[in-house]
Amino acid sequence: MDLFFHYLTLGYLLHGIVLTLQVTVLGLVGGLGVGIVLAAMQLSRQPLVSAMARTYAVIFRGTPLILQMVFVYDALPHFGIRLSAMASAGIALAANEAPFIAEILRAGILGVDRGQVAAGQALGMSSFVLMRRIVAPQAIRTMIPAFGNETVNALKNSSLASFISVQELTLRSTQLASSTFDFFSIFFASGLLYLILTGSVAALQLVSERALDLDRPRLIGAGWRAFLPWRRTPVSAEVPMANVGESTAVPAVEMPRARAADIAQGPIAVEIQELTKSYGAREVFGDLNLRVRGGEIVALLGPSGSGKSTLLRCINRLETWDAGTVLIGGHRVGYSAGGVVLSPSAVAHQRIEVGVGMVFQHFNLFAHLSARENIAGPLRWVHGWSAEAAANRAQELLYRVGLAYRADALPRHLSGGQQQRVAIARAIASRPKVLLLDEPTSALDPEMVGEVLDVIRRLAFEDKLTMIISTHQLRFAADVADRVVFLAQGRVVEDGPARTVLSTPSHPLTARFIRVMAAGQAPAEVS
Amino acid sequence: MLSTIERFSAHPSQATSPSRGWRHWMVVSLLGVAAWMAHLGSAQAADLADSKVCQALQAKYPQFKGKTLVDAINPHTPGYEALDPKDPNRYIGFDIDLAEALGSCLGFSLKYTPVAFAALLPTLQSGQADLVISDIYATKERAKAADFITYSKVFDGVLVAKGNPKKINGINLSMCGTTAAENTGFVEVPLVQNLAEPCKAAGKPAPQLQLYDNNASCIQAVLAGRADTYINDVNTVDQAVKAYPDKLSKALAVTLPYHIGIGVSKSNPALRDAIVAALGEIQKSGIQPAMMKKWGLDQGAIEPPTIITDK
Repeated sequence: MDLFFHYLTLGYLLHGIVLTLQVTVLGLVGGLGVGIVLAAMQLSRQPLVSAMARTYAVIFRGTPLILQMVFVYDALPHFGIRLSAMASAGIALAANEAPFIAEILRAGILGVDRGQVAAGQALGMSSFVLMRRIVAPQAIRTMIPAFGNETVNALKNSSLASFISVQELTLRSTQLASSTFDFFSIFFASGLLYLILTGSVAALQLVSERALDLDRPRLIGAGWRAFLPWRRTPVSAEVPMANVGESTAVPAVEMPRARAADIAQGPIAVEIQELTKSYGAREVFGDLNLRVRGGEIVALLGPSGSGKSTLLRCINRLETWDAGTVLIGGHRVGYSAGGVVLSPSAVAHQRIEVGVGMVFQHFNLFAHLSARENIAGPLRWVHGWSAEAAANRAQELLYRVGLAYRADALPRHLSGGQQQRVAIARAIASRPKVLLLDEPTSALDPEMVGEVLDVIRRLAFEDKLTMIISTHQLRFAADVADRVVFLAQGRVVEDGPARTVLSTPSHPLTARFIRVMAAGQAPAEVS
Repeated sequence: MLSTIERFSAHPSQATSPSRGWRHWMVVSLLGVAAWMAHLGSAQAADLADSKVCQALQAKYPQFKGKTLVDAINPHTPGYEALDPKDPNRYIGFDIDLAEALGSCLGFSLKYTPVAFAALLPTLQSGQADLVISDIYATKERAKAADFITYSKVFDGVLVAKGNPKKINGINLSMCGTTAAENTGFVEVPLVQNLAEPCKAAGKPAPQLQLYDNNASCIQAVLAGRADTYINDVNTVDQAVKAYPDKLSKALAVTLPYHIGIGVSKSNPALRDAIVAALGEIQKSGIQPAMMKKWGLDQGAIEPPTIITDK
């Protein structure tokens, strides 16, 4: 036992830990660097690039680390590259860790809900902002356990550097055992030292998991959390709270005729010309034309699969199309003034420029951000608002949708209806001119449909937004919409004043759809 | 001598006895003797560096003077090369003293890099080391990978469990059906493998081999009963028996037709020739026999420097 404690505290072995840690850190940092490149290559749409990354993974994941170390140390010098033992061990470990880390990164990134990515794009986030603010913070959280594993692995694998003369803990232990013949005391001591190292990694992992656990806000480490990019910004000014379920007094309907005349004289907000799109052999749109004027509210009706969602996603270029033009405020969406196809980040910028926002069927709130941050965050990151201005705007909008008292709640703690109200507030926070709403109530439980429709109805009257709403709510369409456009088989089959179309449809498909919907049934496949 | 000092410190109660002054003086004088011996060692090295032959060699091979050469070793062989248990930051042993003596004669200093036994020659070939002085036998096969300068004859000892339960008496038919522990790359490996045919002819099972990468693992294999024998340099075997007198014994010593040699890269004939000349001087001046005695390598026989090479 005395010998055990002697070796446990022997400076020679403790110094070996330093070298063990050096090899491990070199391996992990290098592996992370190469891993990021590999993950990006694997996620690339270029088949050659992703094939290269896959080949690398096959080779370095498929051969023993000890051979890689010996190769770097003993074989590379024959090609004129002579590295120190430590550098050789670090490079070999990094090369070996890289494909494992790349897979962790790839899984983490792909694990982030695609809907949130679409929401970020619709809010005008460039690829970089999207990665930094939405994807990475959520991916990192899910990747921590895997990174903990990988760190422990690397730490243990660093012992293989003993084969190429790096004087780390294992090599020191075996040499010491050879010269003193105290095998067991020495190996128990070095085993305990390894356990302390790997135990520290496990502790670090637990601490990181706790610190990043969204459900434990402000309990511990509130100080340093303030420096995290997804921190919650305090509201500087007192904003009065709205009453829960505050009655939404919708102003008396304007005289429809006067409003119709106003709109008819207004400028064209959205214009779709000869839009054509196919998925393989299946045609989605064939020569679709639609014109929406500023301030106009258009309800897009049509059976499931008629292309309503796709049409909305084309208008803000979340989808591409084969031929035709989409213009918002005279700007050609997805193309530069010279007719060149825009990059994803340039398209994001264009969405802000033309002022188009979107509300999704499944809300797509950013899961790691509070209700307030879902609204304030994009204002700061995309529109460059000050933290204070963004927080105040968020609070004001939450008040308007009746959720000021839930400002600090995470999306997962909100009901579907509340989430959709936050999503609507988020979509209009930067005061877009055009708002696209994709089946805003169809993912909701029936008792929550009303609260969301109320919010939309109020927006329509208070903000004078141009809105295109795809919906199955005929009554809501009749209440709110100026015009109903009926879509079937990739074409506009009927287009007219809301009340006229809904009460006296002229096209048989429209008539049948309205009859089925009014009977409270899901529309049968229209053929 | 050092063990005497340790015994003093292990019994602090004695320090209060009336004879403290005498014991204190004893310790101080012992330390003084130790310092003087250390001085003697360096004086010897200085003498070597000042010798006419070494001076002439330094003039003839100026490319090594003031340089630091890397010596690849497999430091698991107490007596030849192992960590100093008192100061694990340095290596000690006959091979280390020999390397230092060569260094002082030719004017270079040394850095030691520890590798697995099988990696000694690859490390030399890749240029990660300049020479190998690590109790390595200079065989014809190994001479294809490096040039060797011999410095000692080979005597192997047969390490067995206490009392030699399997009655092994050499690399012969007595090993049929037994298990031998050896290091990867050891010359004993093919010798044991070659027993398969004669054993079969005698109607006995062939000997089994367990391959490790250092002496410590081989000795552990015999201690744990995994292997029946470990055949290696007799001095290594003696050290193991000394460390575990209750559990191990040496069956006997066998002579192998090999020499222990210093390995140098084939691309560096100047270093090879300089070492041949310097080693001759070290042997002639009586330093090598003194060093062998110091490390208890009594069973080794000095071998005049001969080059073993093969294209």
